[in-house]
Amino acid sequence: MNDLHLPQTPNTPAVTTALATGVVTMAGDSYPENPFEFFQPLIDWIDGFLRGQSGPLSLVLDLVYLNTSSIRAMMDIFDRMEEAHRAGATVSVRWSYDPENERVGELAEEFREDCTFPFLIEPRA
Amino acid sequence: MPDVLTDLYDLRQLFDRQQIMVCFNGPINAALIEEIGRALRDYLNHQQEAPRAVADIFAVYIEMTQNIRHYARQHADLDGSGNAAIVVSRDDGHYVISAGNVIASADGAALLARVDQLASLDAAELKAAFKTQLRKPRENLEGSAGLGLIDIARKASAPLSAALRQIDSRRSFFSLRVVL
Repeated sequence: MNDLHLPQTPNTPAVTTALATGVVTMAGDSYPENPFEFFQPLIDWIDGFLRGQSGPLSLVLDLVYLNTSSIRAMMDIFDRMEEAHRAGATVSVRWSYDPENERVGELAEEFREDCTFPFLIEPRA
Repeated sequence: MPDVLTDLYDLRQLFDRQQIMVCFNGPINAALIEEIGRALRDYLNHQQEAPRAVADIFAVYIEMTQNIRHYARQHADLDGSGNAAIVVSRDDGHYVISAGNVIASADGAALLARVDQLASLDAAELKAAFKTQLRKPRENLEGSAGLGLIDIARKASAPLSAALRQIDSRRSFFSLRVVL
């Protein structure tokens, strides 16, 4: 399984994955017209990681604006993590945001409502 | 009456009176949506609007224009469906985003009913509707998450309003007005 290193574009976030550490980072805005196309490689990577590894999976997020189709794609990712968590895997999310834009914190909070694994929402100092 | 294209005074008066900041009419694509969005964000930041307000205006603009693009992709045979009219203006201290596009007349009544239904919901009901839609299985989604209009209604500070005008036997023009 190959790691992903996607550079940030105006409408898609930077994405990195690290098989060795289980850390996935995403940073920036996400509003492509077809997010399913953009997110599928990441979803495939996460599926592969959760299937093959015993180590923890950590999502480190600095996402700012998500269009509704990207919200749907992120929920698909969190659902997979929730399922893995219930099956005993160690998974976590840390989402940091600029406290000036509380909309990002509110969005993260709505995702967290449906997750029972550690989900930290962190206003940047 | 002077030719509106050689004498822009009347057009300018209209823009000034309606406090129109951005107006676009024509074929829309992903690159244009992005460029206009960037200009809109820059303008709002320059006006020193609160980051939360900038985020909401940008989000509503993106959902409205991507809804039009999505509809156009599904109705490629419908003459003019790839065109969008987009207006961002101010009214009584609020930002207003209006967008219009050609739709199949057969879709008109259902779309107006959907807007009216969302307009009748309060914040808690809109949140519940959003979460219900978010949980719909992907195979029932027809290529769209179906969340756009609910998200727009959640961010609006007043109930959504829409208008429908018949163009010919097959086509109508649908307008949606969102007050932030």
